[in-house]
Formats: sequence, structure tokens, C-alpha cells
Amino acid sequence: MAGNTKALRSRIKSVTSTLQLTKAMELVASSKIRRANEGMQKGREYARALESTVSLLRGDGDCLKSPYMQKRETGRTRIVIIAGDRGLAGGYNANVFRLAKEFPEAEFIPVGKRACERFGKEINSSERFSFADALALSGTLCRDFAEGEFDRLGIIWTKYVSVMTQEATVTWLLPFEKNESGTKSLVTFEPDCLTVLNNITREYVAGMMTVLARESFASEVAARRMAMDSAGKNARQMIDDLQLEYNRARQGAITQEITEIVAGSGE
Amino acid sequence: MKTYHLTVSTPDGNVFSGQCTELLVKGTEGELVVMAGHIPFVTSLVPSRCTLWLEDGTEKAATVDGGVLTVGKDSVTLIAGSFKFTEE
Repeated sequence: MAGNTKALRSRIKSVTSTLQLTKAMELVASSKIRRANEGMQKGREYARALESTVSLLRGDGDCLKSPYMQKRETGRTRIVIIAGDRGLAGGYNANVFRLAKEFPEAEFIPVGKRACERFGKEINSSERFSFADALALSGTLCRDFAEGEFDRLGIIWTKYVSVMTQEATVTWLLPFEKNESGTKSLVTFEPDCLTVLNNITREYVAGMMTVLARESFASEVAARRMAMDSAGKNARQMIDDLQLEYNRARQGAITQEITEIVAGSGE
Repeated sequence: MKTYHLTVSTPDGNVFSGQCTELLVKGTEGELVVMAGHIPFVTSLVPSRCTLWLEDGTEKAATVDGGVLTVGKDSVTLIAGSFKFTEE
């Protein structure tokens, strides 16, 4: 009996330390949520402005000549994949990689430590992914795209739907879709539409990458908070069950001892 | 003086959003000033200093790292990677 209670006691101890760990991680995630959400909101404002300008350019006939609007059929794809820097965020990283599996022929450019480990590139952080990093990356990507090295540029990121729900999503950045809805715009371009579009593309790709990386980070911390919250609940439940079992075993041992003493003194 | 609504948007959010009377920037074709009632117009910018004049006449200087300026019917948007006001 004594052996049993000892085993139970050490299990309770180990679950308690797990509980402390999940609690600490939950607190860290909670404190990051506000900052991450702020970054995401600001990024969305910027993305809206960027989108509206680019859609103006896409609507203009002259821009069809731009290398960034050429649809090529060969389908060589490059995908920027944004995953977290750390694990223990529920299904966050797994969902991203599951979506990536749908593009087996694509070449991946990882952002975030987990993605880098998986796709074997030098480690970079998705939490601190800055506009300058994005600009350097998009410079190479845009040049390669214009030279016809690949035909489609996508980005896999995680959409922040709510605190409870995050969705791994793929968005195609290049080539630009022609804007069919817009009637011939009355906007003047200086020097001309084509040059403006070619100039802005690098910035557009970098901007979208930064914005989507920020939103993904917000999703990551939200996912981690949820995961740690439920892990904490499970740990508490487990401790309760083990404690009950331990108390029963202890009580059983005492009862048995008393019975033995009583039986022994009965003579 | 007539004013228009200017929004300056960078990856760090809208760094400026408000009424102003004039905006001086440097486009790829040279310097230009946008005033209220400008025709719809889009140009890319080069890294440079720019100046804007607010409704009350204050002058604010800033540096911009390029980007694009979109002049709409009743609002103007400047999109850049970074836009920083310089202290006088």
C-alpha cells in the first residue's frame, strides 16, 4: 500500500509542476495578446490603403503589359509560409503545415522558427519579422518573378477570426488579377501606370507579408492562450482525481492497520 | 484656405490622418504640391523630405522612404514603408 501512495504522490507533484508551466505560458500569451492585436489592427489599416491603390492600378489597361500581371500556365509556385516561433500553441503550426501539404510541388520560403526547422533554411523569427526584412525578401521575389523564375507567389498565414478561432489561409499575391469591375478610371498616372505599378509591387508584396505575419502572430498568441487554458483545466482535473485516489489509498492503509491491531489484541 | 483629408499609412498603422491644406512631396518626375481640388492622380515617390501644412497653418516636416501617393476625389492617401515627422 505504501508503495502505491508514494507513486500517487509523485504523480500529483509532476502534474502540479505541469500546471504551473501552462499557467505561466498562458500569462505570457495573455500579455502579448494586446500588443499583437494592436499590430494587427494597424497592419489592416495599411493593407486596406495598399489594396485600394493597387486595385486602381490593376483596373488600368496599360498595366496589362507589366510583368507582374502576366499569367503563365507552367505553374511553378513559390509560397511564403508563416508559422510560429514556438510550439505549444494548439493546432496553430500543424494547421499551417497541413495546408502547405496541399501544394506538394511548391517551393517554400519559411518565416518563423518552426517553419525554418521544417523547410531547412536559416532561422528567422516570425514575431520580430519587420518591414525591412520583408522588403529584402520581396526584392528577390519580385525580381525572380519578373524574370520568369516562377509563376505564382502565394503566402500561407493564419487568419485571426476571433480569440477562439484562427484559420490557416492561403493568399495569392502575384500575378495581380485584372480588375474587371472598374470602368476605365479617370485617374492620371505619373509618369505612367506601368511604371507606378512596377515600382509599387515590391512594396506591396513586402507590405502584405508584414501585415499577414503580424496577423499570424496575433493568431499564434491567441491559439496558445486557448491551448494553455484548456491544458491547465485538464491538469487541475487530473490533480483532483489523483488526490481523491491518494486519499482513498491512504485511508485504506490506515483502516487495514487498525484491523490488524484489533485482530492481534483480540486474544 | 480649402482643406482636404490626408491619410499617411505605413505598416505601423496610419501615422497621420487629418485635414491639411498643402502637401509637398517628391515624385519620380520631380517635386509636387497637392492642394484641395487636385485631379485624381497617382504617382510613386522617391525617398525624400516632405512637408505638409495643416489647417491652422502649422508646417510639419517629415521624411519618407518612397512609396506611392494617391490623390482621390476628396481624399489623399500616402502609402510608404516609413514616414517620420522630423522635430524642428
